[in-house]
Amino acid sequence: MSVEVADVSFFYNKGTSLEKKALDKVSFSIAKGEFILITGEVGSGKSTLVRHLNGLLKPHSGSVRINGIDSTSKKLRSKIGLLMQYPQRQLFGKTVFEDVSFGPSNFGLKDEELNERVSASLTLAGLSHDIADLSPFSLSGGQMRLVALAGVLSMRPEYLILDEPTSGLDPENRASLFSTLSHLKGRRISVIVVSHQIYDFLPFADKILLLKNGCVDFIGSRDEYLQSIASPIPEITSFMKELQKCGFEVTSNIYSVDDAFNEIIRALGSNGVNENE
Amino acid sequence: MPGKSFLHRLDPRTKIIGLMAVSFCILKVSSFEIMLLISIIFSILVIACHLPTIHFARSVRPMLPFFIFIFLMQLLFTEGSPLFEFGLLTGTYEGFLLGSILALRFIFLILFAALITATTSPAGITAGVERLLRPLPIRYVGISSHDLAMMMSLSLYFVPMLFDSFRDLRDAQISRGLDIKKEPVKAIMSLTVPLVRMSLRSVNEVALAMESRCYTGEGRSSMYLLEFRLSDYALLVLYCMLLFLLCI
Repeated sequence: MSVEVADVSFFYNKGTSLEKKALDKVSFSIAKGEFILITGEVGSGKSTLVRHLNGLLKPHSGSVRINGIDSTSKKLRSKIGLLMQYPQRQLFGKTVFEDVSFGPSNFGLKDEELNERVSASLTLAGLSHDIADLSPFSLSGGQMRLVALAGVLSMRPEYLILDEPTSGLDPENRASLFSTLSHLKGRRISVIVVSHQIYDFLPFADKILLLKNGCVDFIGSRDEYLQSIASPIPEITSFMKELQKCGFEVTSNIYSVDDAFNEIIRALGSNGVNENE
Repeated sequence: MPGKSFLHRLDPRTKIIGLMAVSFCILKVSSFEIMLLISIIFSILVIACHLPTIHFARSVRPMLPFFIFIFLMQLLFTEGSPLFEFGLLTGTYEGFLLGSILALRFIFLILFAALITATTSPAGITAGVERLLRPLPIRYVGISSHDLAMMMSLSLYFVPMLFDSFRDLRDAQISRGLDIKKEPVKAIMSLTVPLVRMSLRSVNEVALAMESRCYTGEGRSSMYLLEFRLSDYALLVLYCMLLFLLCI
């Protein structure tokens, strides 16, 4: 149960004078339940790569196999959810319910089951059920995005691809998105995030893939990434390093404030200080 | 399409006037000999300018069903000596000739227009149209030739943008399991509603962006400098001769 990308190359406008190489022999794999962050400069082929993962684009050479099946097979569509950049644009339904149920109803779900799916995915996306009967266009931009996210989650994908999910989101809806992501991680759903905001997703990422001019420049764990690539390390990580230098017995590979808090509590506890103090 | 051929270097005005002259010829002639001559001229131009033939095939393709329809209508419903019979329908020899001429006319109109757009930048076309419209007395009804040209260039810029938006939307809905062939009605709904919303929004944004940069429409100069060279004058004389010959 995994995604296997093997030697994938892709060209735009192949065979014309405007031919442009977008992906060059890209290979990597994603295990079930893994969280992978794909990053790289603008035009490095990130969006092109994720379009290969759910079969929207077909590689000119190499192969993409999901659970052992070729990615262009239609059977896989429901297994892989793709949330594009600016997903609020894809909304069309008269009501939020209609829009969120679009995916599952395309895969043949009806009545009770469909209702259940929609309300479950609204909850998972951090939205209230009251909005189900509203027009999606009456919501704020941030909420429209979460509705679009719910529309993808309602297909119950095994793999979820998010293209720049945080760009232009306000802090409240961001928090909502991150809590959805941690829920998904708990459910062992593989999440593939494309983003420039590396530090936002570091607390989740099991693996980081850096693309450069269509080639894989780096792939590895976040610790390896921070040691070999990232020049400015996240603030919270440098804070923990400072603590370490000052003689506190804490680990420094910490990427979120919550983890830092727990680690400091733990360190204090092992020094004989009570948690409540 | 970028290039440095003879056609690329011509003044856009010469090309636009040329397109009008050629269109006039195409609509006026009804003999296969002249059609053949036109197709030879077209082929020479395409080869001389090193243009990819695929570009022209693509420009005709979307209209092909329409041309076939015209051809069949003429073939089956023109009176004359029968060529073949198919049930109640009879194809006639006269219909065949008339149908092919009509279809060829439309095809060549599109091909020549594609030839111009392939060898002229959108800015060039806009500047050319603006200059050619300037002598018209439309400013007395409140329209300046500049407004018309700006409208034209904006719509030209919106075409690739709409196409991109459409592709993204289609991909998004296909990812959500839409099967366009199986459920065309659902497909139309789920694609047109967001597309219309999105285009109205971006049109509004462009208007605001223009206004915030104090766009008034009057007295603007163009980045594209129009300049008649000797070859342009020579061609204009050639057009006049051609049209004169056709009229007598």
